[in-house]
This record gives sequence, structure tokens and C-alpha cells, in this order.
Amino acid sequence: MLVQKQPLMRALRRSQTSLGSNNTTSSPSSPSSSSWVHLRSVLLIVASSSSSSSSPVSSDRGSLKSPWSRRRRKHALLAKQWKSLFDVDGKLSDGGVRFLKKIRTGGVEPSIRAEVWPFLLGIKEYVELRKQCRQILKRGERSFKLKEISDNNSNEDGGEISQVLDSPNLDEIASARPSVSTESTSLSGELVHKNGHNVYLHTSRELVEQEEDDSVITNENISEAESDSSDSDSSDDPEDTKPLLGLVETEDNNLYETVDSNLEKSESKPASYKAEDFATWQRIIRLDAIRANSEWIIYSPSQAAVSEAKAQQLAESVGLKDYNHLEPCRIYHAARLVAILEAYALYDPEIGYCQGMSDLLSPIISVIEEDHVAFWCFVGFMRKARHNFRLDEVGIRRQLNIVSKIIKCKDSHLYKHLEKLQAEDCFFVYRMVVVLFRRELTFEQTHCLWEVMWADQAAIRAGIVKSAWRRMRLRAPPTDDLLLYAIAACVLQKRKLIMENYSSMDEIMRDCNSMAGHLDVWKLLDDAHDLVVALHDKI
Amino acid sequence: MARRPDEEYDYLFKIVLIGDSGVGKSNLLSRFTRNEFCLESKSTIGVEFATRTLQVEGRTVKAQIWDTAGQERYRAITSAYYRGALGAILVYDVTKPTTFENVSRWLKELRDHADSNIVIMLIGNKTDLKHLRAVATEDAQGFAEKEGLSFIETSALEATNVEKAFQTILSEIYRIISKKSLSSDDPAPTSIKEGKTLVVGPQETNTKKTCCSTS
Repeated sequence: MLVQKQPLMRALRRSQTSLGSNNTTSSPSSPSSSSWVHLRSVLLIVASSSSSSSSPVSSDRGSLKSPWSRRRRKHALLAKQWKSLFDVDGKLSDGGVRFLKKIRTGGVEPSIRAEVWPFLLGIKEYVELRKQCRQILKRGERSFKLKEISDNNSNEDGGEISQVLDSPNLDEIASARPSVSTESTSLSGELVHKNGHNVYLHTSRELVEQEEDDSVITNENISEAESDSSDSDSSDDPEDTKPLLGLVETEDNNLYETVDSNLEKSESKPASYKAEDFATWQRIIRLDAIRANSEWIIYSPSQAAVSEAKAQQLAESVGLKDYNHLEPCRIYHAARLVAILEAYALYDPEIGYCQGMSDLLSPIISVIEEDHVAFWCFVGFMRKARHNFRLDEVGIRRQLNIVSKIIKCKDSHLYKHLEKLQAEDCFFVYRMVVVLFRRELTFEQTHCLWEVMWADQAAIRAGIVKSAWRRMRLRAPPTDDLLLYAIAACVLQKRKLIMENYSSMDEIMRDCNSMAGHLDVWKLLDDAHDLVVALHDKI
Repeated sequence: MARRPDEEYDYLFKIVLIGDSGVGKSNLLSRFTRNEFCLESKSTIGVEFATRTLQVEGRTVKAQIWDTAGQERYRAITSAYYRGALGAILVYDVTKPTTFENVSRWLKELRDHADSNIVIMLIGNKTDLKHLRAVATEDAQGFAEKEGLSFIETSALEATNVEKAFQTILSEIYRIISKKSLSSDDPAPTSIKEGKTLVVGPQETNTKKTCCSTS
């Protein structure tokens, strides 16, 4: 991860240059130019870290009632258990098998989601960024008045996660990406200096401009920290051989290359990403951000309580408009969506922004309060989900095919009926596939389903193979396609209705599109796991 | 107007709703079919549809309206639904000039993918935002005349002209269909079901093949 950021930041610098020149011709108050500052900020912050990474987002959520049914669902992973999963070195014990097993069968207790999700989504560097950040802050304390931050930080240090994350090899890790740390640490230093613990660079326009001059390093201690650490070499980190929950390096390197080369192209030939361009994405992102629903509010009391001033400020900095009908917390939420989605569009220009992606991000930012952590979680999520948004639709077709195959293998009668209706391609579950059940499930149910799905994907990334799960006496081996089994299960649950009452694909589609609120997520997962057990060899 | 149960109708007309993202397609549909409006209606993923059965020119018509995603990215999926449609409602936002400028691109989409005799109606939506209007009625009117489209301005929020818009296009379709079904040598894109009941445009199952199952 540390190595991967380098091209991103290079690319970012380049794109900043080209966009910067555009800005000279456009009005300074245009959404694209004003939001750009913030967008860039988010990307830079993404590369740094904040003091509040482990802030207990959901500590006051204990009173929530679980919507889960009582079926085969085991208990969710609790805070106490989560803490006990780490060994003395701060690593997940037994290679994370217990961790993932627990989540696969019961999900995660809401109050620790903000801590667990980064692990689940393969952000191993999250750990490293925290350390890096900690180090910077320690040094920073000596020369800046960082009382507020250090207070926050030491409070959080009492938490279990930060203990286990502390390891003796700080410098080694912090330095693994020297060219990035130049930028990120200097910026975070500035940020800390200017805004206290606030991760948003609301007033960062001059900061960014300064940085363009390559003369930003205002904090000697931080630059020192960076040179301190830059002589060590991360590549010989023996722990890194099989990252349990880490990003699959090759895949991601490719992604970075894409980012890099695309932006390179866009330098000579101003941004033309196939049929859509960045300006279009910006427009649609804002459109979707404004109409994000408010389901999350009761689950995120701290974000719900955001002040009007703060919300307005953030909205302005990302160039959000037409939000007067929204209350402050929703303005704030919308502005965060804009910042992170734009950052993602730059990070992965092959996908850019596609409607539906905001559906995937909204639950993440509701749980995770820091933009940079949320961004990387989103990247982790999108590693697989991005295929749903590809222009060539290959990802979608593949998935619809699998759903079709599962139904065919499980229930040939139903399949024949679908054939008769010319619906065997399962196009009627298109939306479920694209936004991963987000439109059909409630907010809380979505979290559960996604967590279980992420745990499966993490198990596969970590190479925890079938035999290991057998030894654990687990029924269903992990699969990358759990979602598709769940979708097939959902269709199979409708078997009787489809066979007896529906005589066209339209009717099935209408039924599928109006399932919201009628699904039992754990029944769905049980059925999905049964399908996996029965069919994983055949699909 | 008297409404009969969904099962009983003389005609089934399929109509597609198209236009840029955020112009209000889904809300026009929900206003027409359920008399609902939602400021926070989410982006449409792929296609969705709703129906309403109503009286058109003294006949019971079931309008099956396909709401489509506005983003270019979804075009391959959505355009597969144009075929078999007897009508298309092309929506722009009167407060967003780009959405009006893109109307010609949408027309091209229709010409490429829809039946050549499809009835097209241009709708300028969001007239309730009077202070933000950026597309003059006359401009759109002129454009519609030039392109041979019917034109109306609506507000899904205030329920202004929504009923009228759908009635207009449904009547227009009805007139064409009834004329066609009278002349025997001109095969209408319809199929006869239950004696005199004429069912029109339920061929989307064939249509969508092009998007999802061919490969």
C-alpha cells in the first residue's frame, strides 16, 4: 500500500496542474474549481492520517435494536471479543480465521464497526497510517501547540484497538512510501497546525496553492520524521508475505497504473474518459449526494449533531448547491459524499462515477467519520464492486450469469419457467447486483449483509481455503460471490409466486424492485450459505 | 375517471421515460401513477417501471411506463427498452440548460434504438422553480416544432400538467394505433389478445436480450 501511493500522488499533481490551468479560464466560484480544492484535500488527507482514527463513532449506539431474525444467526462480534482477537504483537491471531468466522456467522456489533470495517475491507495500511500519524503527532507536539489533539489522541489510546496497533517498528512502516510521505506528512503537519484535529481542509485553498510551489514543508520536525524514516526499507517486512486482510497488491498496482496512465493521457488530450468526463461526474455526484436518504441519521448521532456552520462550510468547500431544503447533518453528509466520490473518480478514472456508487458509499461514511479512512474503505469495497459500474457491462453480465446458473442448478423447474418467460438471464435482479441489495434492505440490514460478504472476500484474499474452513467445521466455504447466492436465494424464496402468478419478466422485475423492507437478511444469508454448500463446486 | 382493475384493459401502451440524470423522470412517473412526489427519490439503477390504467378517448388503456437511468453509463441497458415502446417522453429540466442541450442526443438515441414511428413528447420539468428558469418556453417550443415532437412544461412537484402530458401522449398513440388497426395492409406493431383487446408493445423480453444475455 505504501508503495502504491506514489503514482497516485504523482498523478494527482499532474491532474492538479491541468485542472489548475482550466481554472484560470473559469470563474473562481464555479463548483468545479471550488470543489477541487476540497477534493484535493481529501486525497491528500487520504494519504496522511488523523489523530482520531479510532474515535468511537458508534459508542452511543448500544441501544439499537437488532432487526435480525433469530434463525441461525450467531452473536455478532462484540467489542470484548474483537480486542481479544489480537496477539501481543498487535496482529490478528490465527491468521484472522476466527475473526472472519465470527463475522461470517453473526456480523459485527454496531459500536465497533468503525474499527472493524477497515480490517474487513483490506486496509492493512490503515494500521500503518495510524502509526505514521501517531509518530508525526508525537513529534509535532514538541514544536506546536497540539494540546487538543494529544488529548483526543490519548483518550483514544485507551481504546483496545490502538494498543494492539502499536508496534515497535514505527519508522520502518512510516517510511515505506517516502515520496508520498513527503507530501502527506507535510500536509498533515500543516493541517494539524492550522485546524487542530479537524481533518477537513476547509480553508485549504491557500494551502494547496502553497503546496504547488513545492515549498510547503513548514514543520521541520515532520520533515525530519520523514527523513528519519526514509532510510529503512519496507520490502523486507516478513509479515507482509501473505497479508491477511490486505489489498491484493497486484490487482491494486494495476489499478494505480490505470490511474496513472489515464491521467497521463488526459494531460495531452484534455480529459475524455470515454463517453463521460470529469465535469459530468461532478454534476451527477452532486445530484446524487443531495438526494441521499436520511436513514443513517439515527445510527450516527455524532454526525447527526453537526453544526450548521460546519455543514455549510464543508458544503461550500466542495461546491455543493441546491441544498437549502436539507437539515445540517444531511448537508454535511452530502458534502462528504461529494468529496470522497470525486476523490474516487480521480483515483479510478476508468470507472469515475456511476450512479449507484453513492448508495455504496453512504453507509460507509455513516459508520466512519474520517474522510480518509472512509475513502480507503470505499476503495476496498470497490475493488470488487467496481466491476458493477464498468462501461462494458462485463462485470454485470458475469454476475447475472452466475445468478442464472445457481437457479438452474438448484431448481430446474423454476429455471424452465423463467426460460418460458424469456427471463432466464435474470435481468430482473439487475439492481440488486449493481448496488448490492442496498435498495432492497434497510440501512442496518445492509450493514449486516455487506459485513458477511466482506468477511468472505477477505477470507479469500487471505488465502483461507476450503480445507481450513472444513477444519473449522464450517458449513459453507467462503466465496467471492456470496452476494449472488443471496440474490439467487431471494429469487428462490419467490418461487411459488413466480411459478403460479407471473407470466412475464416485467412482473418479476416489478416484484424484485419493490422488495424494500420485506426481506429478512439472516434468512437470506442462511439460504445463501445453503446454496453455497450445495452448489459451490458446480458454479 | 373510472378506473378498472389492471387486468381489464383495451390497450396496453408501453412508454419510455428518458432524459438526463436528475431532470425528474422518476417523479413524473410517481406523480402520474401514484400521485406521489419525493424530493429525495434516488437515482434509477437500470430500468424500473410502473403502470396505470386510465381512460383515453373512451377506451381503457393500461400505460406501462418504463423509467430509465439518466446516466450515459446505463445507456446500453436502458436503450434496449426502447424497442417495443410506442411512446417516449423526453424530459429536461427547465433550470438546467445542459439537460435541454442534450435533448438532441437523446433524440438520436431514440432514432438509433426505438421503432421509427415512436411518438415522442418533449417535457420541460420543474417549472415550480420559477426563479431558476434557464430554458425559455419558446426555445423549447421552437425546437419541438422543428423536430415534430409534442411539447409541454410540467412540475411534478406541484402536479402541474403531469396528467395532461401523459393523457396527450397516450391519446396520440391511441389515434395512431386505431388508425393503423383499421387499415389491414398496414400491420400495426400490436398483437391481438382476447378478441377485440389489442395488446401493444409487450415485447420487452425480446428487446432486453440485446443487453444482457447476448454474450
